Amino acid sequence: MNFELSETQSILKDSVERFIAESYSLDKRQSLVKSELGFSQDNWKKMAELGWLSITVPESAGGFGGNQIDSMIMMEEFGKGLVLEPFFISTVVAGQILCELGNEEQKQDWLTGLITGDCQLTFAYAEEQARFDLEDVLTRAKPDEKGGFIIDGTKSMVLYAASADAMIVSCRTSGGQYEKKGITLFLVPKDLKGVHIDSFETVDGQRAAEVRFENVRVDGNALLGEEGVAFSTIKRAQQIGILALCAEATGIMECLYKDTASYTQDREQFDRPMSEFQVIQHRLVDMFMEYEQCKSMLLRATLEFVHNPDGSSRSIHALKYLVGKTAKFIGENAIQLHGGMGMTEELNIAHYFKRLLTIDILFGNSDYHLEKFAA
Amino acid sequence: MDINLNQEELSFQADVKEFLSENAHQPGTDYNEWRLNWFKVAASKGGWDVPKWPEAFGGPGWSPTQHYIWEQETSRAQTPWDLPFGLSMLAPVLMNYGSKEQQDRFLPDIRNRVVNWCQGYSEPNAGSDLANLKTKATLSEDGTHYLVNGTKVWTTLAHIADWMFCLTRTNETGKKQEGITFLLIPMKQDGIEVKPIITLGGSHSVNMVHITDVKVPVENRIGEENKGWGYAKGLLAHERTGLAGISRSIVALESLKKQAGSVKRGNGNLMDEPTFKLKVAELEADLMAVEYTELRSLANAASGNEPGPESSILKLKGTEIQQRLQRLTMEAGGIYSSAWGMSNVGPSFARSGMSGYLSSRAFTIYGGASEVQKDVVAKNVLGLKK
Ligand SMILES: Cc1cc2nc3c(=O)[nH]c(=O)nc-3n(C[C@H](O)[C@H](O)[C@H](O)COP(=O)(O)OP(=O)(O)OC[C@H]3O[C@@H](n4cnc5c(N)ncnc54)[C@H](O)[C@@H]3O)c2cc1C
Ligand SMILES: Cc1cc2nc3c(=O)[nH]c(=O)nc-3n(C[C@H](O)[C@H](O)[C@H](O)COP(=O)(O)OP(=O)(O)OC[C@H]3O[C@@H](n4cnc5c(N)ncnc54)[C@H](O)[C@@H]3O)c2cc1C
Repeated sequence: MNFELSETQSILKDSVERFIAESYSLDKRQSLVKSELGFSQDNWKKMAELGWLSITVPESAGGFGGNQIDSMIMMEEFGKGLVLEPFFISTVVAGQILCELGNEEQKQDWLTGLITGDCQLTFAYAEEQARFDLEDVLTRAKPDEKGGFIIDGTKSMVLYAASADAMIVSCRTSGGQYEKKGITLFLVPKDLKGVHIDSFETVDGQRAAEVRFENVRVDGNALLGEEGVAFSTIKRAQQIGILALCAEATGIMECLYKDTASYTQDREQFDRPMSEFQVIQHRLVDMFMEYEQCKSMLLRATLEFVHNPDGSSRSIHALKYLVGKTAKFIGENAIQLHGGMGMTEELNIAHYFKRLLTIDILFGNSDYHLEKFAA
Repeated sequence: MDINLNQEELSFQADVKEFLSENAHQPGTDYNEWRLNWFKVAASKGGWDVPKWPEAFGGPGWSPTQHYIWEQETSRAQTPWDLPFGLSMLAPVLMNYGSKEQQDRFLPDIRNRVVNWCQGYSEPNAGSDLANLKTKATLSEDGTHYLVNGTKVWTTLAHIADWMFCLTRTNETGKKQEGITFLLIPMKQDGIEVKPIITLGGSHSVNMVHITDVKVPVENRIGEENKGWGYAKGLLAHERTGLAGISRSIVALESLKKQAGSVKRGNGNLMDEPTFKLKVAELEADLMAVEYTELRSLANAASGNEPGPESSILKLKGTEIQQRLQRLTMEAGGIYSSAWGMSNVGPSFARSGMSGYLSSRAFTIYGGASEVQKDVVAKNVLGLKK
């Protein structure tokens, strides 16, 4: 048994830490939030140069061949800096699907660009009637007579759709609305006719879009893997996505409880530091304990997944449940103990909390995963 | 013990219902015009525009049960918005401690909703420890005016206010509470600088207010110099009881159930989902209990007693319930709760979910943070000493 980082892992952690310290002051981040793109192309290039965009890509495909422990290390640090670049959706999630299902030609076309940072992908899976159920898919793809497909439907909360070059879209090619069988993935270039992207800023300062596909024709080579059997890949992408999001959330929660502890030591009322009140001390201890619980669950789920991906689904449900619940507990108390200052946008804590809330609704919220866990 | 309304109360209830439906806002007509007119019509009913004011100042002189009926019915009907600052915070101070001249000068404009007030209490270093306030007021040698300097913070709606009721420091020696003076300061003048503070929900309601060499005539002082703390403390009690918002929460719970029922999931809807349904049920049970806590408190007041222990927990429980409502509304909105500022993504109630939830975090901070409120209960109700 060993929870220590290896030497390469420590180096990775240090280099991400350094990047955050240099490039991610709150001021700089907030000016990126306000920019048209919503993140920095320079940062993205730097992330590629540092090799981070290839870390989870298999060596056979020109990557570094790392696993979810490596992405956990990066995401935890990205969380602390509230990084905006679309590493999560493009590199972690879409990259995973492409590595798993892409044929040689598709990998050539897209994976190389993902690694160099020259292209970005996103994953369009959510639909309004589905709430969080991945198998509830109404977007349809029908074969046409020339070997291509016609796609019709609407996807919600497609992360960074406006800046992506293409999106991976889950479509129903056969079966009923709630069936796991009959779901197919397509790689759809964004500039095709009939793709309508309604982009907006989310509460956490990131970007998402409602994407409508209206009679969109794609070639046969847009098909990822085989027809009708993509569900297990989608499920795996969700699991890997959850691990990454929860690592990010854990990094954020660490900052939240620490920032709050130090604020209460600096803030004086009634002629003494706030931290001298026992109520506050105990609240901070609770925040700290709940954070540690999340950290343990994160390690448990991540290590279980790395060793046995098919046997880790209960731990991953438990993790997403616990992180969602704890995020609200820690976030609410961080604001409460900051008083009026906690209600402003001037301190990091406000932005941390907003990101945590958004993480909760991605790939199923706390309630959803608790139900799956209990089932 | 009896919870039924008597004949008189039932006919009052019918009267209120009729009044509210006859004077409801007609969609498409000017809101503000309707609003000001609404208060005029309510005044003609005998003080219905100022239900909480005492009869001597034009209020209706209702029994607590009548107040309860009014709260219930107005929460359901869309009565016009009303700001608390002048009407329910400053007015009682003027009535209790103001001079006849001050009452005649300020109360009518408050009642007619033509002058906006803001509350200038908190300062950067005087929040929970309000008595620590430092905004300095110095009496001129001829005794005609105060010269005021200092900074107020979190001042709600200072940017639209015409006046501020303000706590200032007039004595720096001795007990902090005994050197505070209550002044009324016009906002639209040189020397008053209002800077917006944007809060978590993305909105602008609070401000930082810098006061520099502002001259305030002594006629604008309430009561005596150095006695302001006592006047303000009475007023804080009014502020707190107004913050529980129980009737509004009951109405909000009903709409939460409707909204969640409209969120599809599989063949059913969100209200079929056990985790969500049970949270709504827990909230409803709490709300049913706290509704009776409020009734007990009203009944107590009706029999002329001092507010009982139940009244001190109303703000704590009431705000906690409001926050849970906001949290559940956000959760019901699912992925769309993060889509603010969008006009056409997902169900409309969902899009403001996170901002509503974030704004609601302030409910347990302003008007006395919950922790401080519990200190008060521990000391005054349970008799515990520090
Ligand atoms: C089943 C059982 C077996 C035991 N076995 C043994 C044994 O084998 N040998 C032995 O020596 N003792 C034993 N104990 C005694 C045990 O260690 C004491 O009960 C314990 O240390 C608490 O002391 P107390 O009972 O005097 O409670 P107190 O010290 O009076 O405390 C009462 C309560 O006040 C609260 N409290 C106390 N201090 C603080 C604080 N600083 N801040 C906030 N809250 C506080 C806590 O909620 C605490 O439970 C046993 C007790 C039990 C119940
Ligand atoms: C949206 C909003 C609107 C407001 N509007 C107004 C207004 O119009 N006019 C005005 O004058 N003020 C207003 N306020 C200010 C409000 O009254 C103060 O924020 C409040 O009194 C808390 O003071 P503080 O922010 O300085 O927090 P602090 O006093 O620094 O307290 C921070 C936190 O510490 C904890 N705490 C404090 N004291 C204790 C204690 N003794 N024991 C244990 N824990 C404690 C609480 O959790 C508290 O939230 C508003 C505030 C907000 C957020």
